[in-house]
Amino acid sequence: MSSTPPAPRTAGIEPDPYTLTAPWADELNQDVEEWDARAEFPWEKWKVIQRSGLLAVPFETRYGGSGGTLTGTMRALEGLGRTCRDAGLGFSASTQIVSVGVPLQAFGSEELKSRFLPGIVTGDLITAHAITEPGNGSDALNISTTATRDGDDYVIDGGKLFITNAPIADLLLLYVRTGKPGPFGLSVFLVERDTPGLRVGEPLGKMGLRTSPISEVTFESMRVPATRRIGQEGAGFLILDHVMKREILFSFSLTLGEMEHRLERVIGYAKSRQQFGAPIGAFQGVSHKIADMKIAVETARKWLADTGAKVEAGQDAAIDIAATKIVVSEANKRTALDAVQIFGGQGYLTATGIERDVRNAIGGTIYSGTSEIQRNRIASLLGL
Amino acid sequence: MNSLADEIRGYIVTEFLDGEDTADLTADFDLIDNGVVDSLGVVRVVAHLSRTYAIPADDIPLTPDSFRSIGAISAFVENATKAAA
Ligand SMILES: Cc1cc2nc3c(=O)[nH]c(=O)nc-3n(C[C@H](O)[C@H](O)[C@H](O)COP(=O)(O)OP(=O)(O)OC[C@H]3O[C@@H](n4cnc5c(N)ncnc54)[C@H](O)[C@@H]3O)c2cc1C
Repeated sequence: MSSTPPAPRTAGIEPDPYTLTAPWADELNQDVEEWDARAEFPWEKWKVIQRSGLLAVPFETRYGGSGGTLTGTMRALEGLGRTCRDAGLGFSASTQIVSVGVPLQAFGSEELKSRFLPGIVTGDLITAHAITEPGNGSDALNISTTATRDGDDYVIDGGKLFITNAPIADLLLLYVRTGKPGPFGLSVFLVERDTPGLRVGEPLGKMGLRTSPISEVTFESMRVPATRRIGQEGAGFLILDHVMKREILFSFSLTLGEMEHRLERVIGYAKSRQQFGAPIGAFQGVSHKIADMKIAVETARKWLADTGAKVEAGQDAAIDIAATKIVVSEANKRTALDAVQIFGGQGYLTATGIERDVRNAIGGTIYSGTSEIQRNRIASLLGL
Repeated sequence: MNSLADEIRGYIVTEFLDGEDTADLTADFDLIDNGVVDSLGVVRVVAHLSRTYAIPADDIPLTPDSFRSIGAISAFVENATKAAA
């Protein structure tokens, strides 16, 4: 179980991106419980992530990236999830890759790309994307933050909530309304944190992923040059669709790595913990849970690999993305709870790190579109 | 309408109008403003084009104007398939 899982259909870069962060396991995993308790962003560990090259994987070499593929990026994040016990840090790293860098590279002007991508690729410029609003969460397209054209600028008013990395971000990608309701009423703008009229709220306390800072962001008469728009006016929804596919593939590859680690840990414990004169793994009540955990991990792996390959090949993957998100996030929650049960009283202690997994896993069924919304999407795509 | 536009028209009628054809559905009828295709509908149209005409989804320009009408969609498909040929 300790060997590197195979890399199905990964065109990839050398060495296998799965191993990128492995040499830094000790630094990444130092005092994880304390960082979690303080709910602070671990800046020194961020520097380790920067040094590992993880943040550069999907970006073109002319911007300092390593020119990796989509599936190569998934593999790198899976490796991070396997190595790093700080799921909040991993989540912030995955958000860094997908929130601004990915859409900027795909749809941004050359001027914006050459100005900002090099700093994003190194991780010196931290990024966030802002879609959700206090009044519009699941109903994400019903965005009420507006951008009104005024000469060569747009003036943006409104506010966003639950923005991962916002408290530490240098750059934010905003999804705002420039037109009437409907698929072409949204546009996307790249803004710098110090733009007059932009205010980032205090970090919000939360159940899990506590080292990944999250906050509200508000805009009051914020003036943004039209040259900061990413893509055409009205292309916001289509850009969002492009980004959400990758957000799900990237952040849930991280989750897959975390589940791989959990499975190894649980197997180790079930073999070593003795009760009634036998290792607890000898009892069917325990071993079947672990067998189910193995099935969950491999199901998650298959969905991610298959969907990643489809998206990479430019095939229709709308249902697959929604299904993958449900399969992996729900498997993560279930296996985290089972791990607590298998560890018994030890699993309930903070120091063991198993209860932290449960708190971290819950968020996965909420962010990137809740499980209910993903099921709605599948039903709708089936014509229901 | 040419045969490609007819094909796309047929797809729109089947998928978005429950098979109920209407004379209003001309080549430049605005599918978005008239509420025929909503946001998720655009995703379905992109998926359908990519599957039916073998256009890689990543090659489909994310520009609103490519999806507004049957005429616009068929012009886009014509260009994309010509470019690939
Ligand atoms: C850890 C974390 C990180 C996040 N990071 C970001 C970020 O970086 N950027 C960003 O923009 N947003 C972010 N979000 C916000 C996230 O995308 C939203 O929380 C999510 O989309 C749900 O919106 P909501 O919280 O407003 O819930 P609501 O939309 O109010 O939903 C509440 C409940 O109702 C259910 N529900 C709603 N509508 C339906 C329906 N039609 N059918 C069935 N059930 C329904 C939902 O599934 C949910 O269970 C983050 C959230 C979390 C938890």
